[in-house]
Parts: sequence; C-alpha cells; structure tokens
Amino acid sequence: MKNSNRLLRLLPDLVLVLMAAVVLFPVFYGLMGAFKTPQEFSSYPPTLFPESFRNLDNFRYVFDMTPMLRYYLNSLIVATLSSTVRMFLAVFAAYAFVFYRFPGHRFFFLLMLTTMMLPPDVLVIANYQTVSGMGLLDTYLGMCIVSFVGASQMFMLRQQFMTSPVALHDAAMLDGCGDFRFIFSVLLPTARPVLITLFLQSFLAQWNTYLWPLLVTNRNSMRTVQVGITMLTTIDATNYEVILAATFVTMLPTMVVYLILRKAVSHAMSSGALIS
Amino acid sequence: MKRVLLMLAILLLVCSVGVAEPVKLTLWHSMTQEAGQLMDAFVKEFNETLGREQGIEVEAVFQGKYSEAVTKLNSVLSSGQTDNLPDVMQLDATGKVSFASAEMAYPVDRALQEHPESDLSDLLAPALANWKMGGVQLGLPFATSTTVLYYNKSAFDALGLTVPGTLEGIASLAGSGLEKDGDGSRTVFACLPNTPTLANWLGQLGSNLVNRTNGTEGTASALECVDNGALLEFLKTWKALYESGVLENGEGSLDAFVAGKQLMMISSSSNVTSLLEKIGDSFELGVTFYPRVSEKAAEGATVNGSCLVIFDQGEARRNAAWTFVTWMTGPDVQATFARGTGYLPSNVKASDSSAWTELVSQYPQYEVGLRQVLQTPDTMHSVTVGPSIDFYYGIQNWVSDMLEQDLTPEEAAQGMAEDLGGMLEQYVRANPS
Amino acid sequence: MEEEILGFTMFFCLLKKFQEVFLLIYYKSNGARQRHLPGQNSVKGILFLLPMLTFAVIFVFYPFGQALVQSVSVVNFRGEITGFAGLDHFRYLFGRKEFSSALRNTLLLCGVNVPVTVVLTLLLAWMCRQKSPFHSIMETAFALPMSVSMASISLVFKVLLNPTAGYLNYITGLDIRWLTDRRTAMYGILIITIWMGIAFNFLLFLSALRAIPGELAESAALEGASSLRIFMQIQLPLLSPTLLYVVCTNMIQALMTNGPILILTGGGPARSTTTMIYLMYSTGFSSSNYSLAACVSIIAFLMTLTFTLLLFTTEKGRVHYQ
Repeated sequence: MKNSNRLLRLLPDLVLVLMAAVVLFPVFYGLMGAFKTPQEFSSYPPTLFPESFRNLDNFRYVFDMTPMLRYYLNSLIVATLSSTVRMFLAVFAAYAFVFYRFPGHRFFFLLMLTTMMLPPDVLVIANYQTVSGMGLLDTYLGMCIVSFVGASQMFMLRQQFMTSPVALHDAAMLDGCGDFRFIFSVLLPTARPVLITLFLQSFLAQWNTYLWPLLVTNRNSMRTVQVGITMLTTIDATNYEVILAATFVTMLPTMVVYLILRKAVSHAMSSGALIS
Repeated sequence: MKRVLLMLAILLLVCSVGVAEPVKLTLWHSMTQEAGQLMDAFVKEFNETLGREQGIEVEAVFQGKYSEAVTKLNSVLSSGQTDNLPDVMQLDATGKVSFASAEMAYPVDRALQEHPESDLSDLLAPALANWKMGGVQLGLPFATSTTVLYYNKSAFDALGLTVPGTLEGIASLAGSGLEKDGDGSRTVFACLPNTPTLANWLGQLGSNLVNRTNGTEGTASALECVDNGALLEFLKTWKALYESGVLENGEGSLDAFVAGKQLMMISSSSNVTSLLEKIGDSFELGVTFYPRVSEKAAEGATVNGSCLVIFDQGEARRNAAWTFVTWMTGPDVQATFARGTGYLPSNVKASDSSAWTELVSQYPQYEVGLRQVLQTPDTMHSVTVGPSIDFYYGIQNWVSDMLEQDLTPEEAAQGMAEDLGGMLEQYVRANPS
Repeated sequence: MEEEILGFTMFFCLLKKFQEVFLLIYYKSNGARQRHLPGQNSVKGILFLLPMLTFAVIFVFYPFGQALVQSVSVVNFRGEITGFAGLDHFRYLFGRKEFSSALRNTLLLCGVNVPVTVVLTLLLAWMCRQKSPFHSIMETAFALPMSVSMASISLVFKVLLNPTAGYLNYITGLDIRWLTDRRTAMYGILIITIWMGIAFNFLLFLSALRAIPGELAESAALEGASSLRIFMQIQLPLLSPTLLYVVCTNMIQALMTNGPILILTGGGPARSTTTMIYLMYSTGFSSSNYSLAACVSIIAFLMTLTFTLLLFTTEKGRVHYQ
C-alpha cells in the first residue's frame, strides 16, 4: 500500500523526465551528429553516438571556412538592438492599451495584432525600397528597423498589465507619480519573468533571421551567423555533419544568453510571487 | 611627434600619387563550402597577378543561394538604385530573365564589340550556348554541370548485370534480384521528374518542354510537348516503369544511395566529388549517361550550372569586369575549379591540362559528364520559365498523381497542359515580351 | 471540383463570419471594461502608442497596402505595377488544385497543433509549478528548445526522420518514409511544429502559475478539493489571460506555417504539405508572381483575422484579469 502510494507520488516526476528526454532528444541527436564523419552518416545502420568525440574536424571546418567570430558580433548587435527597441515600444503600447482609453482603442489593438498575420515575404521588396531610400543599406539600423514592431510582445504585456489593479495606477497618478516612473518602478518590476521571457524570445528570433539581413547588406563584414550556415551548406544540404556543427556553433551563444537570463527569470519568478 | 605626423602625411601623399587608385570591382557569388573558398582564392590570385598589373581589385561577396541572390537583384532593380548593383554576378538559370531585362546589363556581345581581341572559342560550346537568351549572349559559363545517372556498380556486378541505358531497360530490371538486400529489400531506382529532367527526356524525343525553344528565344507561353505526343509517350513509359515495381515514386535521396539502400539515382554531375568522399570504400560508384526514354530516343542531357554576368558601372569598371570574367573562365581557373568541386571545366583548354587528365585517369567517373555534354544534340536546350518554382513542383505533382491516384497518362498530360500552361499564361500577361 | 466548391463555400462563410464578429466587437467595445472615463487622458494614451504605430505603418501597413494594390493589378517580375487585373488573380487562384489543398492543410495543421501544444505545455508547466531543484532542471530542459532556431531544428529532424540515414525508423523498427510519403508527410511536419512551440508556451504558463498565490490552492486542498477541481476552479481562471495569449499566438503561428515546409518538403509530396503561406511563397514570391503572392496573403490574412476575432469574443466573461 505504502509502496504503491510512493510510486504514485513519483509518477508525475517520471512522466516529466520521460517528456524531457523526448523533447531534448532531437537537440542531443543533432549535437552527436556534429562529431560524426561523413562516412558515419552514410553508413547503415545509423548510429546515435559518434565513433569518437575527439573528432572536432567539423567544428574546425566551420571556423576555417567562415569568419564566424565577426558574424557573432554582428548577430549580437542586431539581435540586442532590435529586441531592446522592440521591448520598449511594446511596453509603451501595452501601457497605453491597458491604462488609457482613447478613440479607436480596441481597433488599434487589433490593428497591432494584424502585424503578426502578414507573411514577411510579401513585405520584403517594398521594405527594401524604403530602407534603401533611407540610405540604411549596409547598416545595423537597416538590418533592425523592420523588426521594431513586436505585436506578440505587446499582446503578452497587455495580458500581464491587465492583471495589475486599476486602483494602483489611479493612486499613483493622484500621488503625482509620472507615467514613466509608474512604468519603470511599479509596473515592470512585477512583470519581470514575463519581460525576460519575451526579450529572450525576441532575441532568439532576431538571432535566427536570415533573408532580410542578407538583402540589406552588401559587405562580408556585415553578415550574420545564419548567412554563415548557408555558406557551409551544399545545394542539396546533405553534408549533415558540417551543418549540424555549424548549427551548434551558432546556437551556443543563444544557449549562454538563455542560461544567464534563466537565472534572472527564476529569481524574478520567486520575487514576483511575493509581490502579488 | 608633430614631425612624425608630418612625415607620415608626406609619405601617404607620395604613395597615393605614386600608385594609381585601382579600379574596385564587386563580385556577387553563390558558391558555398570548398567552392566558396575557391572563389575567394581565385579572386585573391587575380588581385595579386593580373589585377595588380592592370590596376583592378575585386571583392567577392557571398549573396546567399542563387534564388536569394536573384531576389536581391530584383529588389535592387525595382528600387532603381543601380549603384547598389555589383560589377560581376554569378547567376543560375532563374536569374536569366532579371538580368536580360536590366538596363544596366552589359551582355557579352557588347563586350566583344569593345574588345575585339577577346576570343571565346576555347569555351565549351554547349555551356556557352546555355547562357544565350533571345539571341543575346548574357554571360560566360563559370560552373558547368549536367545531369547523369549514378549507380551502385558493386551491386550490379555482384549479379552480373550491366546498367541499362534506357527507361525501358530499367523497367526490365524487375525480378533481377537487385531489389533484395540480404533478408530485407532495397530500392532499385527512385526519381520524380521535374523541369530539367523532364526537359531532357522530351529533348531526347525531339521535343521542347515549352515553346520559344524552351524559353530561350523569348518568354515561354505554353507547353510544346503536348500536341506532338512527346509528353504522352514519356508519361506512358514512366507509368510502365512504375508498374514494373522498379521505380519508387519520390525524389530519392542521396543518403539512401550512399547507404546502399537505393541503387540508381539521377543527379548533377557536380555531385561526383561529394559522392566519392561519402561512399569511401563501401562500394564502387558507377556513373553513366542520362538514361534515354527508349532505344529510338537521342542520347544526352542539357547543361546546367551558373554563369558570370556584368553590370555596366561606367567604362573603366566594365572593362575591368570583362578582364576579370575572361580570366575566371580561362583554362587555369577552370581546371582548378573542376578538380576542386566536381564541376565540368567550362574551358576546353582546361580539359587538356594535366590537372584534369590526372584526375580523370584516377577517377574515370569525372569524365562521363563532359563526354555527355559534347554528345548531346545542340537542339536540346535547358528550360527557362518565369514561374520556375511553381512549374517545377507542378510537374512533380502531376506525375505523382498519375502514379498514385491512378490517372491515365492521357489525363495527366491534359492536366499538365492546362495547369502548367496556365502558369505560363499568367506570367506572360504580367511580363509581356 | 468538389474540393473547389468546398473551398469557395468555406471562404465565403469565413467572410460572413468576419463581418458578424466585426460588428459584434464594434458594438461591444463601447461597453467594454472601463478603467477610466472615456476621453480622459486620451492624448497621452495615443502618445504612448505612437512609436509602435509609426513603425508599423512604415514597415508593415504601407507595404501591405502595396500588396493590396498588387492583388488587383498586373505586376511584372520586378514587382512593378503595369496594369489593372481586377479579380482575375483571385479567380485563377481559386481554380488551382493547390489552393484547396493549401486551405485544407492549413486548417488541419492549426486544428491539431494548437490544442496539442496548449494542453501539453499547460500540463508540463502544472507539473513543474512547485519550486524544487528537480523542477529547476526540468524547467531548463523544456525551455532549452527555445534557443534552437527553426532552420536548425528542421535540419536535425530532416536527418532524424530520414528513412535510411535517420535514427527514428531504425530504433523503432518502423519503415515509414516520413517526409516523402504523401500519407505521412503532414505528421512529420506536425511533430516538428509542435516541438517548436513547447518551450515558449511552457515558460509563460509556468510564470503565470507561479504568480498565483499558493494559499489559494492550499486552503482549497484543506477543504478537501481534488487537484483537478482546484485547477479548474482556481488556477485556470487565473491563468486565463496567459491562456488567451498562448492560444491566440499559437493559432496565428500555425496558420502562418511556412519555414519547416520550405526546408523539408517543398509543399510535397504531391501538395500534401502545402500550406497557405507556402503557397504564397512558391507560386507567388519565388516564382516572381507578386500579384498571386498578394492574393494568397490577403486570403490567409482574412482567415487568420477571422479566427482571432472569434477568439477575442470569448475574452469578455471568460478571461479574468483578477
């Protein structure tokens, strides 16, 4: 009786571990592939582990073939700049939607959401003309400017702000607290976990964009990591070992960013719970 | 300190007067991996040799895959800011239309008028002809390839079989034992016709796929292989091949071929290097001509690949660009490029070089593509259609439907004529020539 | 033919629904939750919205306006308008076999992907809601896929699902041509899209769950309420703002699926994985037919908007903002 009870208690944990294994398996499988040789990939039956983890040829190849460090820097600048601006714009817009009423309030909210419903490819040529007309080709700003609008982030922040009591805002305003002070010292600290998760999502999305940065830059020194992967891909994309190595090389910084921010998230989660 | 600065300034002044500013050129290319590195190496070599002599400096910039580079080209053209165009660009077939209609295009014909001393007779004739459109020579062939049949020679030898040269012959491989792999089974042949492969089979039957000589003399507006029965003949053969059980309806995969789970595959001749590397010692790689539809069909397959084109950025730059392009298609570069990548040498003199002959004597697989190109009748042209991706998948979908949804070849031919023809009509309406 | 009729009817039904919902929301918005007296501070509100609106107008609405014009125009391969076409492009599009396939596939993808992802991630987050070192590890595990790009993971899945070189068939003993058989290709795509949705949703649900004061659930538990009851009556209502967001954004993403299809199947085999946005890409954008690309995106846009509006009608009454 007692044993089965304990088993029952452990069941959710077991399920979690199993699910985690399933979710992580593709990433793990990919990482293993980065250590394989072309022959290992083409032999049958397929293997999970590489013959030797000391085979770092694929990684060496990635750095030999592309100026990856320069690409890291570019991607870092682009992802940070566009995510930061995007978060600010989203916070302000969400604040407006939650704490102010203005004519067309609801309409504008839906209008902002519609920016998520348009495939970027349809907008690409017109945007190229705009950005090129502004003289922003070959600049970081030109690479970022089209992604300043983050409706998804704005939407989630609106959901978050909605849960904060209206009275708080009213009281703060009556006390002579300005809008900016209210946002930065009252509203945002309670929303920290969500804020960080959203920033992370935006950062990663920007880190992984490909076509737009390729279109608006003409110089090798302005290229981003995703272009680096393409430079290592054959037309039929069957050189898996190299592509996987390149993938992990480009993923590594995002994982580091994630792990750093995750600490902040879990810290924020506990403090957030205290406040509410 | 001040004196040092002053001296430095004088030194700089002297230098800049002494050495004339070189003409700076930009090259947009789509070569990845080793080919990409070779591209950089060629540019470096050019800058240090002929470029230094003539005061030309080239910068090579990777612009993504061919299709992405063309998207970029179209964006620049429609923005009207033509100073964002490169001097030299590597284009594949999908970029022909965009280049041909660009006002800044500097086609080879004009370059030849201005440089009568240039001689193109060493270039591989079928490859050169592939970059002609509406009678205008757009660019010079750089990376040249054709489509060939790869097969697992060891598997055929083990059963004492030779690889068939026709689709009918492939169908007769049913029941030969090739499909047995120990206790399991393996695929003998997997293929799903698309624009270039279908055009090859139709070309062998003496027909173009689309009108205006497969779109080389103007914008194609309709299928040409329907009324003359060539399409129907091919579809019938293809259906019979499928019904024999030898053919797997799918694009097949290089992985399955390399793993020995698929015995024949149609692919670009430029894959020979990576195939040899991947297969290693596991079996002997066989390469042979593109299969013919039937015994009465002609032999051959068209040229694919990419060319180098020039945009006119003023006299000094276009002259420098012409110097660079002719150097890139010269025998030395082409021999090195072919050896390093598996592409065919686009220059006849390159195929006489020791680099090439040594390679071929060690790996005879390299030579098949070149022989095939030279034997292919010059009436066969590769296809240029506006809606290229749509057209490509359209063909595949109709052939798949015929095999898996039990359409008769007649119905499939009719459906293709309407569907694919419709795409071409749409395009012609938007882009009248 | 039947498919075409089905496609047409569905489209017009959607249009009609769109109109109804729009009117509904329009009337409702006047009586919506009022935090302030209308008109008060309205200038300030607009000022806070303005930065985002400006960028949206320049880089989204202006180009989309061009697309609207292109959809009824003749547009050459450079994207320049050369004539007027009326509704010809729409008519041509509705006649294409690809269109009805794309419509069906997109709805299928959305219909399976959204419920599965939402239920799965909600469940995982609920199981991880208590803080402990073990849960912290699990948290990292479920959130890690967020740092993997769509293109990268598509390639990994391409290898994994490869019938011969891949590990999945080998280890399970199955003989499935995952992405190259028209009967199974969609399952392959679904596996990948669901996988990609896990991390972000999980993190949002988790932070929402942890923000709920623990005493609420504890006191309910002391009164003898079952976990399920506590979840349904206490936690779920408090989660509803996050839930609305997750369902809504997942739905939009599912309806806009393109990336994995572009990389893995090219819409095939035989149109079995062609989605609306892939159709836009293949028949339109990459085939230099910008009018057609515009037409498809307009239809996809209307469809997505309709569903979003429908979803928002549930907001009043069902979504609780404390």
